[in-house]
Amino acid sequence: MRRYFKGPVVLVARLILGGVFIYASLGKISDPAAFATAVGNYHVLPFGLENLMAMVLPWLELIAGVCLIVGIMVDGATIMIIIMNIIFVIAITQALARGISIECGCFSVAPESGDNIGLQTILRDFGYLVLAFIVFYRQEKQLEFFPKSV
Amino acid sequence: MNIRSPIGQTVFLLFLSCIIGFSSNLFTSNSIPWIAPELTLVEAIDTTTDEAVLVAISLEQAKTFFDDGVLFVDARDEGYYESGHIQGAMRKSFLPKLIFNIEDRQGKDVPLVVYCGDPGCGDSEQLAYDLKDSGFTKLYVFKGGWVEWSGAAYPSQVD
Repeated sequence: MRRYFKGPVVLVARLILGGVFIYASLGKISDPAAFATAVGNYHVLPFGLENLMAMVLPWLELIAGVCLIVGIMVDGATIMIIIMNIIFVIAITQALARGISIECGCFSVAPESGDNIGLQTILRDFGYLVLAFIVFYRQEKQLEFFPKSV
Repeated sequence: MNIRSPIGQTVFLLFLSCIIGFSSNLFTSNSIPWIAPELTLVEAIDTTTDEAVLVAISLEQAKTFFDDGVLFVDARDEGYYESGHIQGAMRKSFLPKLIFNIEDRQGKDVPLVVYCGDPGCGDSEQLAYDLKDSGFTKLYVFKGGWVEWSGAAYPSQVD
């Protein structure tokens, strides 16, 4: 399987992941208060810490996305995206298991955006995980500028 | 830290995000506090307002609600509930079931007091936010919880 992880397959995966994460970060960066509320709705963090999460996570998404597209620290950015997606899946699953119906806060943080959590959001995150694993286990490094080789 | 290694890169990106995130929050016009404020105790309770309420209340205010027959919900785990709880308090259960049980007794716009063990436990506040997300509009968090209530020897029961 891993022998297919090269050339355009990896480049397309990098572009999709990078684009998605940059797009997802912009709304959150422009409205940190709304994103903090969205994070708080999941009730996974101890009280008060959702604000710290709301300050850092969008920038992490943006920087990881830019790194993937530009070709800088692709491995680190991919690991970051894998960790974030695993956390997202756990957060959504526990909310669903507890019967909480909330907005995802994944792309739009505006209230009533209509993007509620559900099986579709979990599957979407698994899709990103697959793309991230393709990038992480890539067989050749194309259009990567730092580091040239690990 | 070797920035050429994948783990080194990950740590670097995390560090960079923290620096940019925290400093941008200092300079942006719509900055947020570092730590989200907790619910604060209210001086006076206005039960006539039509607006949604989610506030913390004191022991005395909780006792007043109790005397007025307001429903209490115990946010602690089963074992704690069974070893002693506020008289007539409803036990916590899976959220949809709890909502069903509450709606069986009263509407979503009727005052409701949520409590847990002591002022340090977050379960009551967490449950109150869950109920708020589920459409309940008159939520009062008795932060003193079971410790203050039983300490004052107010009516309680064991199941």
